[in-house]
Amino acid sequence: MNFFPQEYFKKDWFGLLIVVLMSGVIISFFKPAFLSSFNLYVLMLSVSLWLVVAMSQMIIIAIGQMNLSVGAIGGLVAISFTGLMEVHGFSIPYAILTGLLIGLFCGFINGFLTVKTGISAFIITLATLYIFKGMNLGITEAQPFYQIPESIKNFGNAKIIGPVPYLIIIPIIITVMMWLLMNKTQSGRNMLAYGNSVQSSELMGISPTKVVITAHVISGFLAAIGGMLVVCRLQLGTPNIGDSWLLPSFAAPVIGGAVLAGGKVDVIATTLGVIIVAIISQALVIFKIDPFFVQILLGFMILIAVFINRYREYKEERRKKIFIYEASHE
Amino acid sequence: MFKRLPNFAVTNQFGLFLLVIFFVLFFSFFTDGFSSRFNLFALSRVVAIDIMIGLAMMVVILTGGLNLSLGALGVSAAMFGGWLMETVGIPIIPAMLLTLAMGGFLGWINGYVTVKTGVHSFIVTLATMSIYFGMMTLFTEAEAFRKLPETFTDFGSLKIFNKYVSPLLLVSIFFVFLLFYFFKFTDLGRKLIAAGANPDAAELSGISVGQMFIYCHILSGLLAAVAALMLTSRIGAAIPSMAGNLGFDWLLPAFLAPVLGGTLLSGGKVTVFGTMLGAILVTLITNGLYLIEIGEFWIRFFLGIILLLAVLLDKAREFFAQKSNVLS
Repeated sequence: MNFFPQEYFKKDWFGLLIVVLMSGVIISFFKPAFLSSFNLYVLMLSVSLWLVVAMSQMIIIAIGQMNLSVGAIGGLVAISFTGLMEVHGFSIPYAILTGLLIGLFCGFINGFLTVKTGISAFIITLATLYIFKGMNLGITEAQPFYQIPESIKNFGNAKIIGPVPYLIIIPIIITVMMWLLMNKTQSGRNMLAYGNSVQSSELMGISPTKVVITAHVISGFLAAIGGMLVVCRLQLGTPNIGDSWLLPSFAAPVIGGAVLAGGKVDVIATTLGVIIVAIISQALVIFKIDPFFVQILLGFMILIAVFINRYREYKEERRKKIFIYEASHE
Repeated sequence: MFKRLPNFAVTNQFGLFLLVIFFVLFFSFFTDGFSSRFNLFALSRVVAIDIMIGLAMMVVILTGGLNLSLGALGVSAAMFGGWLMETVGIPIIPAMLLTLAMGGFLGWINGYVTVKTGVHSFIVTLATMSIYFGMMTLFTEAEAFRKLPETFTDFGSLKIFNKYVSPLLLVSIFFVFLLFYFFKFTDLGRKLIAAGANPDAAELSGISVGQMFIYCHILSGLLAAVAALMLTSRIGAAIPSMAGNLGFDWLLPAFLAPVLGGTLLSGGKVTVFGTMLGAILVTLITNGLYLIEIGEFWIRFFLGIILLLAVLLDKAREFFAQKSNVLS
């Protein structure tokens, strides 16, 4: 009987889980304040937001592309959402619905242009980044919207039980849905197949148009939710929402072992990647370390993760070679 | 002669050149003050730096990669230069050389990590962007160097050619010709292109592709440092935020100029003069949009649209070029 199956060691998320637990234990040993109710609340809030942003990027990484405009979509939706309520007197459900539609539409434009022109997603989303951001600034003239309905403010502040914020419900639902999408549905598998090899996926009869547009639409949708979550949390709609999303959006999936060439993403590992980034950022605050260190550290973490992934790929290739060698010599 | 004409007419540079002339005429007719001495001088100062930024990105695009850390790298190098000149008190020329060395070194880090890990340069430079910018902010405590030697800052406000042009533009044009010569006539330059165009073939013919890619990143770092020094000289101070947060403000001109100029994103092709024309066109349009009073905030929107149109046009041009090849 194997009490601790070897299988777990090979999972992407296993090592990350150890890192999360270890860092939690070490930090709370030196600073018991880390486990204080308030601190856990702040931690969960930041996890909530980054989770959505990371998933928005992860699905594009799955198809082997990148989306620079995640933050710009989030920002445009955030100001539209608040602007519609403040200036045009939309009720909350209509404002949410319009916000989501804007996100879907932005994602659709990205996907459509990428797949129909064959130009790299990097350039397309760099262009749409400026288009969406330009619209955002053009509409707001860099002024925030302050008039947020009380119920939204309350939603952003309320706690379910103890330190658990209400806000975390939406990201949890999204994460579960994303796990189901990537692991249990045909369209998720199609995306991974497309990311793995465009040519062979086409030979298998997978429509590139459908895969790419679906992925970008989901990405836009998630970015829109991310933008609105920030509004709930900040209690205002500022035009600079989303400006700082680029690095964290890539950090979590990469730390979670996503292969940037596409075809391999892990929802659980990405989630743990988000938690690691959040814990470390939080720890630096607790230890009163310069906030710019967070940026430097995040950069280093991406590089280290890249090296580790590379090493694991190398080991895996070697293992396969030995296996083939042994098999051919039996 | 008759057969050559259509070929020349479909080249990117020619189209760009026509566009530049068109926009110059358009803005001179429809805006006040476009052709004024003051505006042309201001334009030449901006164009000079955009050309350098475009070239710095171009040499990395040559490898099929890209350099997101361009702005962060440039600003870090310039802040280092500012520190050398103001705090340490080193004379201008050695300080500038050390700044370039710093730029080259930061570029080398990008190249080394990219080649050794085999990961796309996008993710490597995304990480180094944040590391460089973070380190720079930490070391400078986000303070600017405002007491730079006057000879250095005066250069940026100098006016030549009947006060129409900034000497900074001459520096850029010098680098344009230097790079043109480098890629066209030197052994190393050709090797870089060969490595970018077809890494496997280059490797087989005895070129160390990894080494070449590292050289491209070093060159990119050097050119970014030159651009940042020119910007410092123009502003008259080395300011941590002169390229925006994380140096992000440089990114759009950096991609626009080479892409408009006809540099292939898949690598293996450089167009030095195309990049220069691309940078001129972008600066021209930005400047014109300001003069039309379209509203400062919509400028980004239009630049995004222009980038989109540029790549779409490029695609269409490629398509028609192939079609006419097939027909003939």
